[in-house]
Amino acid sequence: MKKRTIFGNIYIILAFIFLYMPIAVLILFSFNSSNSTSNFEGFSFKWYGELFSDAATLDALKNTLLLAILSSLIATVIGTMAAYGIHKMRNKHLKSSIMSVTKIPMINPEIVVGISMMLLFVFVGGILGSKSYLGFGTVLIAHVTFNLPYVILSVLPKFKQMDKSLPEAAQDLGCTPLQSFFKVELPAILPGVVSGLIMAFTLSLDDFVISYFTIGSGFETLPIRIYSMTKKRVTPDMYALSTLIFVSILVLLLLSNLTSDKSREKMSKKAKKITKIVVGTAFGVIGIITVIVLIVSAGTKTLTLNVYNWGEYISDGGEGTLDVNRAFEEYYEEKYFLETGERVNVSVNYTTYASNEDLYAKLKSGATGYDIIIPSDYMIQRLKSENLLQKLDLNKIPNYANIKEQFRNPFYDNGEEKYTAMYTYGVIGIIYNSKKLHPDDLAKIEAGEAGWELLWDEKYKGQILQFNNPRDAFGTAMYALGIDVNNATEEDWKKAQEYLKEQKPLVQSYVMDEIFNKMEGGEATLAAYYAGDCLCMIGNNEDLGFYYPRKNGEVVTNIFADAMCIPSSAENVDLAHEYINFMLSEEAAVANAEYIYYASPNKAVIENEGYQINMGKYEIEYKLDENGEEVPKLDEDDCYIPVLDENGEMIIDEEGDYFVIYDDVLEDNLEDMFNTYAYRDLEDESRATLNQKWEELKVDSQSFGGGIYIFCAVILVALIAFGVYCYIIKRKRRRLYWNTQK
Amino acid sequence: MNEKKIIELKNVAKSYDGEVILDHINLDVHEKEFMTLLGPSGCGKTTTLRIIAGFVTPDTGDVVFEGVKINDIPAYKRHVNTVFQKYALFPHLNVYENIAFALRLNKISEEEIYNRVEEMLAMVNLKGFEKRDVNLLSGGQQQRVAIARALINKPKVLLLDEPLGALDLKLRKDMQNELKNIQRKTGITFIYVTHDQEEALSMSDTVVVMADGKIQQIGTPTDIYNEPENAFVADFIGESNIIDGVMLDDYKAKFSGHIFECLDKGFEKNERVDVVVRPEDVDVVPPEKGMLTGVVTSVTFKGVHYEIIVNINNFKWMIQSTDYVEPNQKIGIYIEPDAIHIMKRSEYSGQFGDYSSFSDELDRLSDISEEEE
Repeated sequence: MKKRTIFGNIYIILAFIFLYMPIAVLILFSFNSSNSTSNFEGFSFKWYGELFSDAATLDALKNTLLLAILSSLIATVIGTMAAYGIHKMRNKHLKSSIMSVTKIPMINPEIVVGISMMLLFVFVGGILGSKSYLGFGTVLIAHVTFNLPYVILSVLPKFKQMDKSLPEAAQDLGCTPLQSFFKVELPAILPGVVSGLIMAFTLSLDDFVISYFTIGSGFETLPIRIYSMTKKRVTPDMYALSTLIFVSILVLLLLSNLTSDKSREKMSKKAKKITKIVVGTAFGVIGIITVIVLIVSAGTKTLTLNVYNWGEYISDGGEGTLDVNRAFEEYYEEKYFLETGERVNVSVNYTTYASNEDLYAKLKSGATGYDIIIPSDYMIQRLKSENLLQKLDLNKIPNYANIKEQFRNPFYDNGEEKYTAMYTYGVIGIIYNSKKLHPDDLAKIEAGEAGWELLWDEKYKGQILQFNNPRDAFGTAMYALGIDVNNATEEDWKKAQEYLKEQKPLVQSYVMDEIFNKMEGGEATLAAYYAGDCLCMIGNNEDLGFYYPRKNGEVVTNIFADAMCIPSSAENVDLAHEYINFMLSEEAAVANAEYIYYASPNKAVIENEGYQINMGKYEIEYKLDENGEEVPKLDEDDCYIPVLDENGEMIIDEEGDYFVIYDDVLEDNLEDMFNTYAYRDLEDESRATLNQKWEELKVDSQSFGGGIYIFCAVILVALIAFGVYCYIIKRKRRRLYWNTQK
Repeated sequence: MNEKKIIELKNVAKSYDGEVILDHINLDVHEKEFMTLLGPSGCGKTTTLRIIAGFVTPDTGDVVFEGVKINDIPAYKRHVNTVFQKYALFPHLNVYENIAFALRLNKISEEEIYNRVEEMLAMVNLKGFEKRDVNLLSGGQQQRVAIARALINKPKVLLLDEPLGALDLKLRKDMQNELKNIQRKTGITFIYVTHDQEEALSMSDTVVVMADGKIQQIGTPTDIYNEPENAFVADFIGESNIIDGVMLDDYKAKFSGHIFECLDKGFEKNERVDVVVRPEDVDVVPPEKGMLTGVVTSVTFKGVHYEIIVNINNFKWMIQSTDYVEPNQKIGIYIEPDAIHIMKRSEYSGQFGDYSSFSDELDRLSDISEEEE
């Protein structure tokens, strides 16, 4: 063997570090006993357990597998036939042009494929007069389509490698052409077919972009589910899932290598036999799973409710919580039986999105069939103005009475007829690290005098985090400057931008989810963020604190609400009403409020004692755990145990989370705050201004500035120059050579 | 040949994209015959074979098998089997299954399959190889499997498309003998395609020399060698000096400025002819005793003999002699009358038989390129 140089070794080590460090970290943290992403606090299988109790994720996993198996099988059959056809083609020009055409979908950006597919399906669906254009069928067709070229390109070389006389030999010995294909040609190209199948399977498994555009309501694949979780945090059970997927793909890859010709030749007979058994079992298991899934999904006739919500925005049964969707299914099946005496199978199809804009795009794209959506305030305004929502029949929602009066007439829904039922609301506040804050500022916060100006304080240069989205970032500046966020003029936008530019040198980075690590890890001192999330961070780091920024003694900050609505294209309107009613019931609403940690507009929740205890309204008992750390004591139902005073009364904990979320000052002014400070849907013109100003701010903020462009340009010019140089040399040589020929 | 005709090609022509591959050929193949189609690459010999096998349909003309026209019968229904150039063994099957392939298609009992496969394995000396992976066999062994596979259906005719082309020389010789033995034992008609003239001469009952899509000559190996019909055949079969000459009278030919006695007759007086003299039939003599004289330009040692190139009247002759001569030496040559063969002039006259540009290297290069075909 050739001796490797030191540099060679270093190169290999570096390459492997770059390739596999991220995955190694992912795998490590999937075994972390806490949900911190910065420190590893102990080995545990907790998140794997979580994963397998999360019905929605498992459902998405099932969908993904089903889609991957079906699409890769179909693509393999069609692709093999296509490769056979191309192989048999006599006309070389036609052959090469078909090959080029085959490669286009591979080179074409996925987003183009996705959008064009969606457009086609909506167009054809419109012609056929179908109401819901997108669904499992469309995403399957899309996956088969983008898998095809990979199968063709994997099978075709095997055809080329195959001895051309093989089919002739078979026919010579008495095979009909069809027999010859199955008895001789197919076995010869089988390695190509199998590797094409595996390739198609893995591609389909992790495809996001194309699925995203072509998927319909009530069907969610794993990548889409994981992506939609980014609104909140990607939970560690996703690390567990990613680890499992990585391991399965690794196994598949090893199997496909084992089946390749080269490794086969080297193997002993025994190894061959074992490989055969392993590969056989693997495919067998996959096949059996498919069959079972197919039978199960075909066998159950169900009443389906398609719910489209933010990721991580419902109590899903993880960590001992209530699985609200399952509870609804059981509740309604029971109710239906009591009312009609008939059995019905209810199935909540729960899918998720990452932003209001995603939801909007989905609804506009013609993906109809959603029965329940939970958009935010300004988006509700937009959807309503475009007639994409239908009004609620409050007679069917008796639990609507649970919603506090002050939340029944928000600006986006203040007419006689109601279109929405508020789900949660939240306020943006400022989270700080008390250890790093100047005592004077700390005192100001304690006194309730601190405002937005701390985020512009030179003292905290490099310690401040700012929102990485235009509306919220500009919001901070506008609240600080006292500009009306909903009626800003061009001049106002400019002022806000100036102010943000002023802040920029102080800003450590513009973040969304990364704030969790940065604040919990003590990397940053100050940041504005959503109150519910801030409480999560405080729970993980005792040094952190939180306050609502004030201006002239009054809290001036953004408040936002998410509300349940029924789209006008909903197909199951009655069941949707039942669902909203159930979600407003005490049982479901408490479970959700405890899980989401945002404020609840629901009286039944706020007055629920268990909720109050769990949210920290009262002092609770603590104990020491095995590491000698203080942890809350739990009763047999996993609930906190309140401390009782001598009268047997619970002691109110003024510092508790409960009073952060339901701050007295806020509570009194909520209705006004909504009308003044909530973001409303912007006019197109303002939206454009905002985005443009944001871009200016951000582009300017790239520290490498023009350097990177110059760098790219230099490389490009060098490449072109090299190409020209090669061409000239070649021509020179050729000219000499031609001269000698003459 | 007393045997019955088994295959007849009648006026068969084939062209691809306007390029003529076969130019109206007629050919009869008899039962139990070992026939060889011999010619350079591109002469149409393989196409002829493929037409018989049924992989190629002729543009015009008939293929007749045992008196029945079989133009439209597909390959898989013909009682003809083929041994392919690169064997075309089925890589996913072992030796036993490869040989049993044809039988398995016909619902034959496993026991009979076993007996017949064993019989075939015995015939090709591969007993004990049943479970071997065909990809791991040597070229010669693969060749035997291919032959056994083709013969198991007891075809009337076996077609062999340059089956020994990929084997090395020693193995090729052994396989030639074995093939000949198998053919004798089984009594099956063999149609054998090769561009190796030595192979053709040593194995065949009948040799068909082809060039440019036409049959140049059909005959026994000795006929073909001793009585070539034109310059192409003379050149292609063995080495020959082909000189322009004039037939002065019966038994009297003039070439290279000298009048020679010969054994040929029946030409017109003063008819221009091609004269063939095989290199081994030329005797080297001292210049004063020679019929012709010339200067040696090169001498190459070939083992059994020296290959001497002599310039005689600006025509380079090849002479094979066991006596050594010096380059640049002046020598005389002597030719017996029976060593001279007179041919009618043909389209190939003047193209062959001059060794002025001869070199071993070129010869070898052209061999390689043919094998790659």
